[in-house]
Amino acid sequence: MNKKINNGLPRRLAKAALFGAVASFALVAGWTSSANAADEIVIGASLPLSGPLAGFGSFQQWGYKRAIDAVNKAGGIAIDGKKWPVRLIIRDDKTDPNASASNIETLISRDNVTALLGSCTPSLVNAGALVAERHKKPMVTGCDPLEAFKSVRKWTYVWDLFFDEPDLAGADFKMIAEYGIETNKKVAILHDNGPDGQIVGGQIWPAMAKAGGMEVVENASFPIDNTQFTSIIAEAKSKNAEIVLVDSITPQAVSIRKQMASAGFSPKILVIEKGAEPVQFAEALGKLSDGILVGGYWDPSFPYPGAAQLAADFEKETGQTSSQHIADSNSAAEILLDAIAAAGSTDPEKINAAIAKTDKTYVAGLIKFDENHTSKLPMAIDQWQSGKAIVVWPKDRATGKLLFPMPN
Amino acid sequence: MPSLDVVASSLASGFFLGGIYALTALGLSLVLGVMRLVNLAHGEFLILGAYAGLFLLKWTGVDPLAGLLLVGLAVGLLAYPIHRFLLTPLRGKGPEAPMMTMFGVSIIMQNLFILLFSADTRSIERDYATASLSVGPVTIAWIYVIGFAVSVIAIGLVHLLVSRTAFGRDLRASAVDPFAAAIVGVDVQRVHAATFALGAACAGIGGTLIGIAFSFTPSSGATYLLTNFAVVVLGGMGNIMGTLLGGVTLGIMQSLGGIVLGDGYRDLVGMVLFLIVLAIRPTGLLAGKS
Repeated sequence: MNKKINNGLPRRLAKAALFGAVASFALVAGWTSSANAADEIVIGASLPLSGPLAGFGSFQQWGYKRAIDAVNKAGGIAIDGKKWPVRLIIRDDKTDPNASASNIETLISRDNVTALLGSCTPSLVNAGALVAERHKKPMVTGCDPLEAFKSVRKWTYVWDLFFDEPDLAGADFKMIAEYGIETNKKVAILHDNGPDGQIVGGQIWPAMAKAGGMEVVENASFPIDNTQFTSIIAEAKSKNAEIVLVDSITPQAVSIRKQMASAGFSPKILVIEKGAEPVQFAEALGKLSDGILVGGYWDPSFPYPGAAQLAADFEKETGQTSSQHIADSNSAAEILLDAIAAAGSTDPEKINAAIAKTDKTYVAGLIKFDENHTSKLPMAIDQWQSGKAIVVWPKDRATGKLLFPMPN
Repeated sequence: MPSLDVVASSLASGFFLGGIYALTALGLSLVLGVMRLVNLAHGEFLILGAYAGLFLLKWTGVDPLAGLLLVGLAVGLLAYPIHRFLLTPLRGKGPEAPMMTMFGVSIIMQNLFILLFSADTRSIERDYATASLSVGPVTIAWIYVIGFAVSVIAIGLVHLLVSRTAFGRDLRASAVDPFAAAIVGVDVQRVHAATFALGAACAGIGGTLIGIAFSFTPSSGATYLLTNFAVVVLGGMGNIMGTLLGGVTLGIMQSLGGIVLGDGYRDLVGMVLFLIVLAIRPTGLLAGKS
């Protein structure tokens, strides 16, 4: 058999074919494109632009781009007395942690990025952050609840600005107490088994409910991509839970709300963390989204520089309703760009040292990283009302009145 | 242990939801039984049906239930050229090439969905999608009952098509022995193309029901493909009435799993059942009665 192949394909032709194949592969693999243009700063990010978390990724992409466009409009970042333009490379991680890790690997090894910006949710951010940490490349991220971020390791090159899970989980209970909301104090908790779902739904909510004198009548977990919730909803209904706390991503959040309605179950308070954040949640549900509460950390009405303008620009440019994710993503990119400018260098160690010194109020709020590389954003509670997220708590930041009980 | 009304409601929901599973799996079963093709893009045809139902409502105001036939026709017509131009050239090349082709088609379709419709989570908003039906202690979603009725009618019609028409005779002949069928004058390629389109149409109709009852994204098809494989194995490949039995069995067993272990273990129960039936009765629960 071997003889036949050798006779059929002369050796020189085989060598040429092999060379051609290798050259083609090199071209396809982008060896020639991996070298960046001289005097250019390349920032990389892996984002969920498709898959179940795409609702978050599109907002983050806009936030990152806006910060980088603003810097480029001002002529770039000064390094060695010369202004360098900034280029952003975004790769889609398809809501897959493996793809997130491999994207960061590619951004570092092939695209030769100077520094990185994060993805969204702990599973995606942490997967990429570990790669950045291994390669000693600075990364600034939002969209990764702080406890889940801190639980991975002691970080050296990765920095996170977002809310803290205990704050998030406690906000609902604080609001109930402050507003004197009357319920039968029976709580049902439904949460996915992702890292933050386990922390919020599995640990913090039950503990806080107990501390608040409430009875947890059900605590059910489910896989992130679960589609059927009939039994756990029937259980919550049969136990007469008037407070339902859910932690899930958007497709599941939509299904849970629809299945609650079709089971004839209407609790007085329904909180859906994570999945109820993007405006697509309210769009998919229509009037069924009315009254649903979700933890928030930003609103255009907050007293931070450029907050109202940021949302207005987003809505003008995209024609969509803004989301709080434009704020933390925009701030993360601005922090990184400020650090590169402060370092006056593309050296990762110098940039990392400059990030550590961040102490400034950005559009997402005051950012100052602690020893765990985290900067906490204060919590608020939003409520969907007629397709709009209205801040209903704390009182001094409220932009509307709480709708209680949740409309049936 | 959950209360009696929880158990009864969950089992009833599983029964009716199983009917929807059956319709979504029917196309997969037909294509597998007749063409011996593992259609890995079946889930995407289902999601295409969900988008078709959504945009039919948005653009024309036609209720997706009233437009189910239109959705089926549209998805079937879109599927036909995939068979003609991608699968026909692969005939006689073994089962792997068509299977991998459909894997490629599924990825292309997912990306097209993102390009055309964005990656947002969608749901078809209808009042009956969230209405509940209470009979004594049992409460179930109206949409499950409606979906079950639609599935039984659709499955019955497909059964009549296959068992009582000339096309059905050709289809059955092609499924049993395509070479012998070709010798006696059956245009096997035409039958395969029509079967492929029919399978996609059924998936499309099922997809619209899924879109009304639940939510969907461009990548949701994979989840339903897995469920559909379990239904096909339970019912037997190409066994139309077996698909209904397989769907209902899976729905009830998943509900039992949900009651005993929690909703998070529904798929686990489904997959365990799938493996057990595959091991002890690989031709399905209705083996020999197709």
